[in-house]
Amino acid sequence: MYIFINLTKEKMICTRFRYCYFPSAVLGQPRIKKFQIYRWDPDTPGDKPRMQTYEINLDTCGPMVLDALIKIKNEMDPTLTFRRSCREGICGSCAMNINGGNTLACLNKIDTNTSKPTKIYPLPHMYVVKDLVPDMSNFYAQYKSIEPYLKKRDESEEGKNQYYQSMEDRQKLDGLYECILCACCSTSCPSYWWNGDKYLGPAVLMQAYRWMIDSRDEFTEERLAKLQDPFSLYRCHTIMNCTKTCPKGLNPGKAIAEIKKMMATYKEKKEAAL
Amino acid sequence: MASIVRLSSVCRRGVKPLFFQTTLLARPLVVPHKYQEQPYQLTAKIHASQALYAGSGSKAASMHWTAERVLSIVLLAMGPVAYLHPGPVMDYSLAAALTLHGHWGIGQVLTDYVHGEAKIKMANAGLFLLSTVTFAGLCYFNYHDVGICKAVALLWSK
Repeated sequence: MYIFINLTKEKMICTRFRYCYFPSAVLGQPRIKKFQIYRWDPDTPGDKPRMQTYEINLDTCGPMVLDALIKIKNEMDPTLTFRRSCREGICGSCAMNINGGNTLACLNKIDTNTSKPTKIYPLPHMYVVKDLVPDMSNFYAQYKSIEPYLKKRDESEEGKNQYYQSMEDRQKLDGLYECILCACCSTSCPSYWWNGDKYLGPAVLMQAYRWMIDSRDEFTEERLAKLQDPFSLYRCHTIMNCTKTCPKGLNPGKAIAEIKKMMATYKEKKEAAL
Repeated sequence: MASIVRLSSVCRRGVKPLFFQTTLLARPLVVPHKYQEQPYQLTAKIHASQALYAGSGSKAASMHWTAERVLSIVLLAMGPVAYLHPGPVMDYSLAAALTLHGHWGIGQVLTDYVHGEAKIKMANAGLFLLSTVTFAGLCYFNYHDVGICKAVALLWSK
């Protein structure tokens, strides 16, 4: 899709390398793409959510949806509010619902079909703070509740030696540790929509699994026992929206299935003496 | 720090697992008007405790899940068996298994969609009634009529 046409030296210099550059003069018509973006401002009393349309010339815009959002904020409407940081899919800030699917705006290419507008909403079924910014408090609180860190029975040895791991044990963490907690998966899950207060959701459960199978962690049974209620884990009905939507290509659905298998087989350990 | 946190989780393990509901439900929904001056404090109201999702201490939830899977597999096997060996034993086994399967299945749907303590109680009572009537009806059919196996076979006879 990148077309680089004999650009003059000056143009090369002033064009950032990420831009796909379609000089309108060569192609004829400028390619004007419509973006319909969810707007809601809590500071305006009585303001109702609405869709606002912006028109962008794709010839002068970067290839990703985040480029378009930044362009709108810089050049057209500074009140447009969204989270962004790394612009390369590693921070998870710019998670939003683009054309009906949850994804990272920075990893999502603008659909160059100019006859259809691109629709952008905040993550579904989250409380909205403003425009495209959702309130992630509950999500983070749930992440905290699974104790996402290494836990040892004997803390007196902490920090003295490295904890070694076999290559096989390390490989078990691949496909789990890469999660950036953008919440695309959790907010695409209908079970999380209806029971987000009590169901942990795919992102958090996958991290719970990541610590359960870590060979260095010694609290596997306790971690499993914590999920022994009808809601924390068992609201997952294998809908698999999580895996479908994950912008990092991970598989939370499978991780949850593995937890369910472990739940069925683990032996209850007696609480360690305090 | 970790030890303090862990201690607190142990201390609170016995508490009813869902006690935290109220704290979570009082989510900082955006800007109730008195907070308008400090919108940055929106998130401050949620304090996750380690005991947030502390399990009930029993394996009830996972055993229920396992039982559901076992029953589903048994039901799959019951089809051919009922075809090869129709009779009163299969009739009553099918009546029990189908009723239980439906009861658990609908129970999951209710857990998903019915919110509010009173409504949950009513829904569960209704479901229990429905399952009881279903089972009684199937038993009545097995006893006074041809039975489930024969009834299904009759669908193919002309």
